[in-house]
Amino acid sequence: MRSLHLRIFLAFWLIIVLTIVTAASLGFFYAERARSSLQSFEVSDAMIEASEALRDRGRAGLVTWLESLPFVAESVIYIVDEQGRELLDRQLPGPVRMTLRRSMMQAAPRQQRPSRAREPDSLRPARPFAELVGPAGDVYTLIVLPPQTAVARWLSERGGLGLAIIALLVSAGVSYLLARAISKPISRFRESTAAIAAGDLDTRMASGIEKRSDEIGELAKDFNHMTHELQLAWQRQAELTSNVSHELRSPLARLKVALELARRETGELAELDRIDVETERLDEIIGQLLTFSKLDANPHEAGESVDLAELLAGVIDDVQFEHVHKAVDIDLRCDSDISINGYPLALRSAFENLLRNASSHGGGQIQVTVQAEGGHAIVEVQDQGGGVSEAELARLFEPFYRASTSGESQGAGLGLAIAARAIAIHDGLVDARNTDEGLCIEVRLPSQSNTPSQSNTEVTT
Amino acid sequence: MKNTAVTTARVLIIDDDRELGEMLKEYLQPEQFVVDACLSGEDGIDTLRGGNHDIVILDIMLPGMNGLEVLKQIRDMSDIPTIMLTAKGDDVDRIVGLELGADDYLAKPFNPRELLARLKATLRRAPTSTAVASRLAVGAIELDIKAQKVVAGSASIRLTGTEFELLRCLAEAPGEIISKDDLSNRALGRRHMPYDRSIDTHMSNVRRKLGDAGVSNPSIQSRRCVGYCLLVEE
Repeated sequence: MRSLHLRIFLAFWLIIVLTIVTAASLGFFYAERARSSLQSFEVSDAMIEASEALRDRGRAGLVTWLESLPFVAESVIYIVDEQGRELLDRQLPGPVRMTLRRSMMQAAPRQQRPSRAREPDSLRPARPFAELVGPAGDVYTLIVLPPQTAVARWLSERGGLGLAIIALLVSAGVSYLLARAISKPISRFRESTAAIAAGDLDTRMASGIEKRSDEIGELAKDFNHMTHELQLAWQRQAELTSNVSHELRSPLARLKVALELARRETGELAELDRIDVETERLDEIIGQLLTFSKLDANPHEAGESVDLAELLAGVIDDVQFEHVHKAVDIDLRCDSDISINGYPLALRSAFENLLRNASSHGGGQIQVTVQAEGGHAIVEVQDQGGGVSEAELARLFEPFYRASTSGESQGAGLGLAIAARAIAIHDGLVDARNTDEGLCIEVRLPSQSNTPSQSNTEVTT
Repeated sequence: MKNTAVTTARVLIIDDDRELGEMLKEYLQPEQFVVDACLSGEDGIDTLRGGNHDIVILDIMLPGMNGLEVLKQIRDMSDIPTIMLTAKGDDVDRIVGLELGADDYLAKPFNPRELLARLKATLRRAPTSTAVASRLAVGAIELDIKAQKVVAGSASIRLTGTEFELLRCLAEAPGEIISKDDLSNRALGRRHMPYDRSIDTHMSNVRRKLGDAGVSNPSIQSRRCVGYCLLVEE
């Protein structure tokens, strides 16, 4: 009963069925009342007229009298002879015909039955209809039916059950369509908002919904407009970050040449070395900013199958080389061949940043384990750096956030944010926890059998 | 005794950063380089057509005519050694540049000492500087070491200096796997760096050019994560 569609559908249907039932019972009561009033008055009048016609002119008189009846009462009075023939050759209504046949079958064998004596004279089977007895002893049955509307006649002939079923089906169909017209666009809106929240700003409401002239159509137009504006703002921001980074690098390039020129003039100076180090650091931060904005703006390099163990081995080599002066030991344990459908550069940058973080903050022995678990690849990076406080754990992946224990390190505090973002565009999850030894970062990625493209098709259907 | 052939080399810098050009001029002059600077791609190509430069430093991030387009036009004109300056982290530009025939690349901002080392290493591989007169025949091709030409039958295959040097490294020891470190040291004059796919890109260029010339013997084989080897069928 949670579904809006079902609720609207049932509400509509209930209302329609109730309306039908009310209207039908009202009609039935009116018809009943009309029938009883007719039977109490006009029937006796008609009987007297008919019996007079029969007495005066026999069967022919009866026929003439029937024919002379006003048109409105055409089907009200039937007269049937002993052979069951209606005098004007009209078809009797179904239920009447059956009652008549039954009463005739009861009456007819009685005259032939030898055991007649056993029936007391005072007992005669009731006949539901009036009988006219002609001068020659011929018996006619006179049937009076209350006047019927066309619908009531149709109903009594074809049976009310069929009509009721049709009414139910039609009202169900109408209710279903009505409910669908309301609930379908809503579920479309839901899918689109979910897609936008997942970062797909290209999402738009289908033009079919947008073209509707009602409130839902207006909503779809506003929705699309909003998404468009959001996308533009997002693009502008990403472009700005990218442009700023590029622009910052030009003076940096000049600074480096100037530094070398200065070195040549004055020889090696501790201050110049310091300038060199800071320039490198600035360059590193700009690089991280650029990487981060690129991941946000356009993560879609060509996707391909990436062998996780191979990728990690390469990254570990590189990071170990970078920290060659720091005696960092990275150990990789991989229990099986796991491939991921993804973007190699983004994945590389994710693990590079995780390992760099572990190397510069943890140091010592770093354990990297890769495991397969139910369609997911789980990569754990465990360092021996003593971990961070629980309050800081949650903020670790925020851009520009630095844990208090991080000390003086290179970069802008974007490393883990880049990793988290790169994992997120692979529909993956990244999580940090403290262990006995230090910080453990767990990455959970859908492995090849459960590719990101499959989850996309799930959204669109 | 210094090799007199490399005492002065003419460098053309194509970069829209005028000040950087001036500073590089100042930095490179004492190192026996004569430096010309152009601020746009069109300008650079014109200058290159008229002058007799030994090496080009090309900024890929040029306004107006794209640096990669400039590189393509330079390669249509000549095999002059070219070092490109790319944005750090922009792997696509770098790979496309190497595929288009750049000899080496440097991420901007760069350390000028690194630039100097690359300039010297690249120039050392340039045709006129090595004077060893020898020919090396492998399979269906013949390497003319002095002229830095590869001949397949009657046709000659055009390779850049770096590409030739790589092929030569492999051809000197056919059938042997040469590591990427060795290849980088010998052909690029620098250590093989992490994330660096220059060797692979250059190698695929050589492979493509040999294939275009219809040469199937020798063939360049790659050993993943190890290196390359030249396979010759007798």
